[in-house]
Amino acid sequence: MTRADWTVVLLAIALLPVLYIKLWFSQGHGQQASIWVDGQVMEVLSLDDPRKLSVTGPLGVSVLEIRDHKIRFLDSPCRGKVCVHGGWLTEVGELLACLPNKVMVRILGSDPRFDAMNY
Amino acid sequence: MKFRYSAWAKLLWLTITLYTAACTSQQESLVRRQFFAFGTLVEISLYEVQQPLADQAFAAAEADFQRMHQQWHAWHPSKVTDVNRRIAEGELAMVPPELLSLITEAKHLSLLSNGLFNPAIGRLVRLWGFQQDNFSATQPPDPKIVYGLLRKRPSMEDLTIDDGTISSRNPAVQFDLGAVAKGFGIDRVIEHLRSLGVHNAIVNCGGDLRAIGRHGTRPWRIGIRSPRGAGVLASLELSEDESVFTSGDYERFFESGGKRYHHILDPRTGYPAQHVTSVTVAHHDATTADAAATALFVAGPDDWQSIARRMGVRYVMLVDRHGTVHMNPAMAARVQFEVDPLPQQEISKSL
Repeated sequence: MTRADWTVVLLAIALLPVLYIKLWFSQGHGQQASIWVDGQVMEVLSLDDPRKLSVTGPLGVSVLEIRDHKIRFLDSPCRGKVCVHGGWLTEVGELLACLPNKVMVRILGSDPRFDAMNY
Repeated sequence: MKFRYSAWAKLLWLTITLYTAACTSQQESLVRRQFFAFGTLVEISLYEVQQPLADQAFAAAEADFQRMHQQWHAWHPSKVTDVNRRIAEGELAMVPPELLSLITEAKHLSLLSNGLFNPAIGRLVRLWGFQQDNFSATQPPDPKIVYGLLRKRPSMEDLTIDDGTISSRNPAVQFDLGAVAKGFGIDRVIEHLRSLGVHNAIVNCGGDLRAIGRHGTRPWRIGIRSPRGAGVLASLELSEDESVFTSGDYERFFESGGKRYHHILDPRTGYPAQHVTSVTVAHHDATTADAAATALFVAGPDDWQSIARRMGVRYVMLVDRHGTVHMNPAMAARVQFEVDPLPQQEISKSL
């Protein structure tokens, strides 16, 4: 083995923990969420920046809140507030909708921890 | 130089291979589709189903759910409201085969549950204001009216089901199939998918689901959302054909005078069932899982075991209003908690 070969092996070994850490930490958080209105994607947002945003649906304005890599309906013009009661979405692939206002949120990402959510 | 060049090439190759291996998930074999049906968000997941068949399966599922929702709607004009009108008039109702089999199963399950799952209390559900697309109740109803409806004792036992017809000796019976139609609908859709040649699928209808087959080399894995707050309470790996249903007090409710009034009514009192936050049932068929989740919610922390036994349910997780998780030993052996610290747990005797 030449010195170059050793370098390759060492670099490869050094790279493993980096990959491991990167993939490990990216797994639980969905880094992005898509916002749908009436079946159309309106926006794709990062969940890393805390913010509130307003989305207009047929009934009026639904307010979404992003915090700590999670997203929820803070308010919606529907009367039953089932979407608000749904609480925070945390998992890749999780969905929540305000049916009356036709607004849907989904956390994007690869390798979800769960194939489906029960609630 | 020559060696060094080949070394860097190797390094590059190695890096690319590692990244590709790590980032290529098995997701390519998984296809999903979402649509609105049954008054909720439906998601169909298919594993290793090729594209033309997948599209056919999605379309079939969506059409089935839309049809059943229309026919069984409890307040929009439907086959169910037709039957309700006939019963209120004291008449015999002609019932189409699919609805007849739904009501027949509902009656069977209602009797097994000692009437704690009672889809004959449609009037009570309406009185509470939960029979609205965009429900807007802000006040509990007048207790006198609640009592008046209770006194008429609408029960599935009042029904005579015979050769395509239903009659009731009690005109106060009014169907609200909300606690069983979703399960029954999921079972029909699963049958349909199987007949098309789909063997690995999850049909998730607003958080209640049935899964068949597997996710490739591993079982399907589901997360059970925490009934209070954010995140996942527990996870469960499913057998090759299993349904998971949760009934909770947290989705459809209103608050009045600092008190929460949710949509799961206790047929014995006419008021929302107390003491429980959520009940999760895992069972082979979705129809039984659906009705059992409601019945065990109403039964509460003290009586759920006897009702579960009567209904033949083997896996139950009940979260009471203090946050204590009650499980039978078989369920406790399967559930993996995803919260830290672990919740208070109470393991019952075997079912």
